[in-house]
Amino acid sequence: MATELGTKLEFMGEIVRVEPVMGDSVLTTFVAPDWAVRAAEPGQFVQILSRDPQSTDPLLRRPYSVYRTDISAGTMTVLVRPYGRGSAWLCEQPLGAVLDVMGPLGSPFAVRPRTERLLMVAGGVGAAPLLMLSEVAVRAGKQVTYLMGAQDAGTLLPASELPEEVEYVVATIDGSMGHTGFVTDLVPAYLGWADQVFSCGPEPMFRSLRDVVHRHRLGDRPDVQMAVERPMACGIGACLGCVVETRRGMRTACVDGPAFDMDELIWG
Amino acid sequence: MGMTSTVPDVSVDLAPSNPRELVLRNPVIPASGCFGYGQEFAGAIDVQRLGAFVSKGITPEFRSGNPMLRIAETPSGMLNAIGLQNPGISRFIRKYPPMWATWEVPAIVNISAESVEDYEMMARRLDDVSGVAAIEVNISCPNINAGGFCFGWDARMSADVTRAVRRATTLPVIVKLSPGAVDVVEIAQAVEDAGADAVSLINTLVGMAIDVRKRAPVLANVTGGLSGPAVRPVALRMVWQVAGAVSIPVIGMGGISCVEDAIQFFMAGASAIQVGTAAFAQPKVLMELVDGIPAWLAANGYARLSDIVGVANPRYGTEPD
Ligand SMILES: Cc1cc2nc3c(=O)[nH]c(=O)nc-3n(C[C@H](O)[C@H](O)[C@H](O)COP(=O)(O)OP(=O)(O)OC[C@H]3O[C@@H](n4cnc5c(N)ncnc54)[C@H](O)[C@@H]3O)c2cc1C
Ligand SMILES: Cc1cc2nc3c(=O)[nH]c(=O)nc-3n(C[C@H](O)[C@H](O)[C@H](O)COP(=O)(O)O)c2cc1C
Ligand code: FES
Repeated sequence: MATELGTKLEFMGEIVRVEPVMGDSVLTTFVAPDWAVRAAEPGQFVQILSRDPQSTDPLLRRPYSVYRTDISAGTMTVLVRPYGRGSAWLCEQPLGAVLDVMGPLGSPFAVRPRTERLLMVAGGVGAAPLLMLSEVAVRAGKQVTYLMGAQDAGTLLPASELPEEVEYVVATIDGSMGHTGFVTDLVPAYLGWADQVFSCGPEPMFRSLRDVVHRHRLGDRPDVQMAVERPMACGIGACLGCVVETRRGMRTACVDGPAFDMDELIWG
Repeated sequence: MGMTSTVPDVSVDLAPSNPRELVLRNPVIPASGCFGYGQEFAGAIDVQRLGAFVSKGITPEFRSGNPMLRIAETPSGMLNAIGLQNPGISRFIRKYPPMWATWEVPAIVNISAESVEDYEMMARRLDDVSGVAAIEVNISCPNINAGGFCFGWDARMSADVTRAVRRATTLPVIVKLSPGAVDVVEIAQAVEDAGADAVSLINTLVGMAIDVRKRAPVLANVTGGLSGPAVRPVALRMVWQVAGAVSIPVIGMGGISCVEDAIQFFMAGASAIQVGTAAFAQPKVLMELVDGIPAWLAANGYARLSDIVGVANPRYGTEPD
């Protein structure tokens, strides 16, 4: 059951499914109020309290991209990789546990109405927002190619998670599946095809993607949106702790982002 | 009491000796830098039910703030080095007070500067701006005319700023004290003598964290301000000391996260409270305080909030020596 808390963004949602995926990560599905499920768009995230509510540690919520929503079931799913204390706590929450969730937050990926061909470039848990974007794009009749890179075959997003219509191409560092090397090695072949590129992953992947795109694209097309990660406190634009330096000044990752146009970002 | 239970009176005047007064319906105030300009939380809570709110610190000129990383979580707390990112006083005045003028909840404007003259200039500009209910003066700033020494760590410099702001405006003036001062009581008394209508405390404590893998400080600014439950005992002690030594209202803050935390600050002598970090994690805490403080008073047989202010502080309300 989802309980509303008298506030417009926070709700309590019971965990109804926990599935292992991508090695030691988990897909956690929880019940969410109808308004939250319907509002969530690809690229948005939820902030999940990752502690016992009686405790004050770890203090701040942790942001997780919305991986999937199911309007008829009234649920939301997030992909969680155990990393530090907050994510370890979340991965351990069993079926029936109730999460304190805030969201959906942030701005969605901006898909132009005329865009027909979408290229996804995913690294690690960056697969999450791109999975939702792929599902929405396929439902809208668009073409999707999903490139993913990982250490080995066991840490790739399973193809069964993606809609059948998606062309799924992978790269692994150890060569156990697909191309041996980085996901960004795969990108040049698709730049002429794609109308827009959407990317989420670790910082080194973004840098290498930027270099590849600069070397291979014609002019400023296709454009590339990158969903960046910043430590967050409030998630609603109030603390200015999560800013990203852009050509238009400091922008918040939690409200203006997480996705930014690659050409707007200032790279330190 | 008879059959009817009355709702306890939680209203409070934070500037009792100022004709422009600062009467709040309840004592719950989101703290500066933790509530943006008020509108950010509008999607999460009913902002109009708050006693008041304090906006993000404003400076004379636009500031883009510090580079990333700006925040780091610490045990039951966080460090921040935002660097006072704000549009500057002129754009600020055009952009936000007109919106606040249509709101029910009073808006308190927090100001920061690096010289007495700049504090005075900002107070003068805010004096007759509709939508501004009071000024909170952040004196935890470096004084460029004193080699960057923090105003709030020196009684004379704190009094100079207060006097200049007092000269420039008839608005209620709250001076926000720095916990870095050697003797916070001395500073509080100096700003009271210089004309402050109220004091608020504490601002953040200076701290730092090191990323052992990178062998470097976590924050780009190296040091940052510590806030959240981790600082609460220190904050409570300072509020207790100051409330026992001044006659103007004291606004307490530092780690308040639930009704019982707030009650502790009232009992130490705070007339109202501010809440910062706790609302980042849970905006609903603000509403729980608005509802829970009168509920606690009623459950414990008190008719008004003022009945518990200072009850745990023998020096509260006595004449200072
Ligand atoms: C918009 C957004 C979406 C996200 N989506 C997902 C998702 O779908 N799945 C997922 O598993 N994770 C996602 N994350 C990351 C997630 O929010 C947590 O940061 C992650 O789970 C680690 O939290 P933790 O409590 O386990 O680790 P912590 O204990 O918080 O972190 C361990 C250490 O890493 C440091 N650290 C954390 N983040 C950063 C950073 N960005 N830069 C530098 N140092 C850092 C901390 O300071 C700490 O020292 C997302 C983050 C953002 C901002
Ligand atoms: C992110 C952040 C930004 C802040 N910005 C300001 C500011 O601009 N001006 C100010 O006077 N205090 C600022 N503060 C201090 C708070 O107003 C408050 O004094 C402090 O955080 C202690 O309260 P808390 O523990 O409830 O957060 C800031 C605090 C935080 C966490
Ligand atoms: S997390 Fe607070 S502004 Fe983005």
